[in-house]
Amino acid sequence: MIPFPQQVLLLLGKDLRIEARGRQTIQLVVVLGILIMVVLGLGLGAGRPVDGFGASAILWVAYLFGGVLCFERTMAWERHDDAMAGLLAAPISRSAIYISKLLANVALMFTLAVIVTPVAVALFRFDLSAAFGSFAMIMSLGMIGFAAIGTLFAAAVSSSRLQGGLLAMLVFPLCLPIVIMSTQVMRHAFASQPDPASAGWGSGITMLALADIIYLASSWIVFELVLEP
Amino acid sequence: MPPAPTAQRPADHAVADEANLASPRVGPKLFGAWFWALNAVLFAAVLAMALWYAPIEKSMGLPQKIFYAHLPVAINTFVAAFIVFIASVGYLWQRQLWWDDLADAAGKVTALFCAIVLLTGMTWARSAWQVWWTWSPRLTFSLVLLLLYVVYPMVRGAIESPQRRAVVSAVYGVVAFLDVPLVYLSVKLMPDMHPSSITLEPAMKHTLLAWFAPVTLMMIGLVHTNFRLNTALRLRNAVDAPARSPRTGPSTGRSRSEVASGVGGGGSGSSGGVA
Repeated sequence: MIPFPQQVLLLLGKDLRIEARGRQTIQLVVVLGILIMVVLGLGLGAGRPVDGFGASAILWVAYLFGGVLCFERTMAWERHDDAMAGLLAAPISRSAIYISKLLANVALMFTLAVIVTPVAVALFRFDLSAAFGSFAMIMSLGMIGFAAIGTLFAAAVSSSRLQGGLLAMLVFPLCLPIVIMSTQVMRHAFASQPDPASAGWGSGITMLALADIIYLASSWIVFELVLEP
Repeated sequence: MPPAPTAQRPADHAVADEANLASPRVGPKLFGAWFWALNAVLFAAVLAMALWYAPIEKSMGLPQKIFYAHLPVAINTFVAAFIVFIASVGYLWQRQLWWDDLADAAGKVTALFCAIVLLTGMTWARSAWQVWWTWSPRLTFSLVLLLLYVVYPMVRGAIESPQRRAVVSAVYGVVAFLDVPLVYLSVKLMPDMHPSSITLEPAMKHTLLAWFAPVTLMMIGLVHTNFRLNTALRLRNAVDAPARSPRTGPSTGRSRSEVASGVGGGGSGSSGGVA
């Protein structure tokens, strides 16, 4: 049997090759992300500058909707021609399927972030230079936790008739703690004079990391229960 | 149950029914009319205690009495959510659908109780801060909790196959419960204007403690009644299904997994002959 890391790399390579050849998912989520930015920009009042705290909130809207599309598409690849049945019949650990799908989703979401964030910076005149490192770390931790839950439930609902709507309905409430934590930590990171009563940057980051660990561990454990051909 | 024509029923159906019909004793009629009558009497008693026995709080006045219902309902919301968690783990462990019936019943009660907590909390906020809503950590916590458990029955309604529905909702039930402490931790990061502790006079304490009895009984009664109803509906469907649908293989509405895994086997259509 192939070693576990190699299984993960093989499956991840397959998913990324499919995306590289078609580029359908990334095109879709990037256009969606930019559309969301434009709608929010017009809705919030054109030309009004936004601070780092607001930037986190606006970007999260694009990441959440784009993320759900990513999760759906990466699992949909396995639905074509019953590829999932073949995958389950292969001598491959189901955990490897989860990890590879998770990594593919994280890669897609990071690509989305790399393209959409500069667009948002231009449209909303974000000044992320004050705490860019914190911004990148907070958003990355948030995305990993979101992708952990999203990958699990994308597998769970991929054969149901509602799929997209159902996936968003399942994933959005579950990832609300991540959104709350990241926006609150961002408020602290970008504050010129941090509020002494609020939790510090360090404890906020610790909480985000804890949330990621809980989401990753629980999703990993139950993933094989939700897979079906 | 009507006698099943076993000779004409494929073996796969017997396997599926074994899991479908497995059910614990739903118990005697412990939660019948007299139970609800007793609960109503208890509610009347604790309401009288709140109105006349407990003194009126000086700063908030009468609206403070919402607290006597608010806290016990909030505590019972967690208990109901814990029942969803246990039943979800039970289903994933044993794959018996009665666990799913219990999780569904407790999920509905969690959503209902959470809505009551949120409404009483908002009423409190209106009285204390002159606004119906503030992003105070505790109100936000109640709102997120409500969203988590309102989704639960909606998800169930969106999935047709009973086995698939049970699996997805069990996984959701487990993850949602694990999410609760994270929601609590996350809202602690938000600025708070909620009182962190309240000093109660003895009469107030007695009233608060007394409110736990009818609220807890109501939670248990609602979960049990819903559970019995779910079990009865499932058993009726399991009995009716073979009679309604002739065996025509995969087109009988079973999920692909049931067909592929052989639980619903016999999908070749060879058994399509109706008795």
